[in-house]
Amino acid sequence: MVFVKAQKTKAYFKRFQVKFKRRRAGKTDYRARIRLINQDKNKYNTPKYRFVVRFTNKNIIAQIVSASIAGDMVMAAAYAHELPRYGLEVGLTNYAAAYCTGLLLARRVLKMLEMDEEYQGNVEATGEDFSVEPAESRRPFRALLDVGLLRTTTGNRVFGALKGALDGGLDIPHSEKRFAGFKKDDKQLDAEAHRKYIFGDHVACYMRVSLMDDEPEKYQSHFSAYLKKGLEADDIEEMYKKVHAAIRADPMPVKSTKEPPKEHKRYNLKKLTYEERKAKLVERLNALNAAEPDDEEDDE
Amino acid sequence: MPAGHGVRSRTRDLFARPFRKKGYIPLTTYLRTYKIGDFVDIKVNGAVHKGMPHKFYHGRTGKVWNVTKRAIGVEVNKQVGNRIIRKRIHVRVEHVLPSRCTEEFRERKKKNDQLKAEAKSRGEKISTKRQPEGPKPGFMVEGATLETVTPIPYDVVNDLKGGY
Repeated sequence: MVFVKAQKTKAYFKRFQVKFKRRRAGKTDYRARIRLINQDKNKYNTPKYRFVVRFTNKNIIAQIVSASIAGDMVMAAAYAHELPRYGLEVGLTNYAAAYCTGLLLARRVLKMLEMDEEYQGNVEATGEDFSVEPAESRRPFRALLDVGLLRTTTGNRVFGALKGALDGGLDIPHSEKRFAGFKKDDKQLDAEAHRKYIFGDHVACYMRVSLMDDEPEKYQSHFSAYLKKGLEADDIEEMYKKVHAAIRADPMPVKSTKEPPKEHKRYNLKKLTYEERKAKLVERLNALNAAEPDDEEDDE
Repeated sequence: MPAGHGVRSRTRDLFARPFRKKGYIPLTTYLRTYKIGDFVDIKVNGAVHKGMPHKFYHGRTGKVWNVTKRAIGVEVNKQVGNRIIRKRIHVRVEHVLPSRCTEEFRERKKKNDQLKAEAKSRGEKISTKRQPEGPKPGFMVEGATLETVTPIPYDVVNDLKGGY
């Protein structure tokens, strides 16, 4: 056998320091987390809320979270899979859906805290930069955007969710530099372009292009879900307007009527007892002996 | 070149992070709150360079007298010459732990209050004072055998080992 110098010796493992569990899983950026959670000591127990936005392949998760030693406490959450309830059935992870999810979360939180009358936010969604004005009695609800491990490029969907929450009435410190429609050359946010993204106009344009001009078959395959619901390129903006109105009308979550299962599903293998392991060994050896009766057999 | 006497002199091991605990510090240090009058232990965290106390204060316990945005003011006793001065220093929260020195006292206070309330409801008097451990009670020694030891007479021939 070729003599290969062992790369990872016993000494390597002895000195190896594991990173934090969530870092090993690649889920938490601790550098950002420390800076988001750190509260001024002279504010004592005042919670610092994070507006957390995470994207999965088919869902958007928006939460308002505050940190504690026992674990993070989620005050309110909104998911893209709740949007069918308000009339949005397809395209649940695009920029417009992110806007709807952010808006839903903002209205939900404000309703929970009974601030929804005071802070209506921006009812007409123009793409302009909108910040909440403090009202007379209570100051607006402040949260800090937590993007997680996303690359914050201009036009990222996470900023769509941010815009939704801002228009919903939350106070989140931000800059318009990363909204879709910001032109780096003139250093200005093109409100019209941003509004197009909020209402899914970029999707509608693509639908028109692939339908009428280039490839009608591609249109059939790509937008099959839209076609099943009977959505054409021109209906999209109207649909989003209705969804925004529906969200503002009733943002409270619906309790699921499904009963929780009495026994939790087991995700890892159950640990066997000593007798069970011995029995398994005997079985395996018997099977081996039965399978190859010609070869030499060692005693158990 | 002689060794210097800078602020962090002789702290190579004192401020070093323990084995396999380098890098980011766990977040509970940032989530703890401290009120004025709490007791805290000062333990320097070498990974955070700002707001480090002088090496003298490492391992000291003091009372919180001030709370600012990112740091705690701690009042620590320091012996200077023939007197003890109460020194007031500001230390960042990463170098501070809540002290357990008053934990036993607070537990005892709670328990005593409870005992006193119970005794009051029963109408009898109790003393909640701690008593020091007294002398052990007397006991009989078990399984002892008597062995009488007498001196043996001096034997010149046997006792002189080797030459004489």
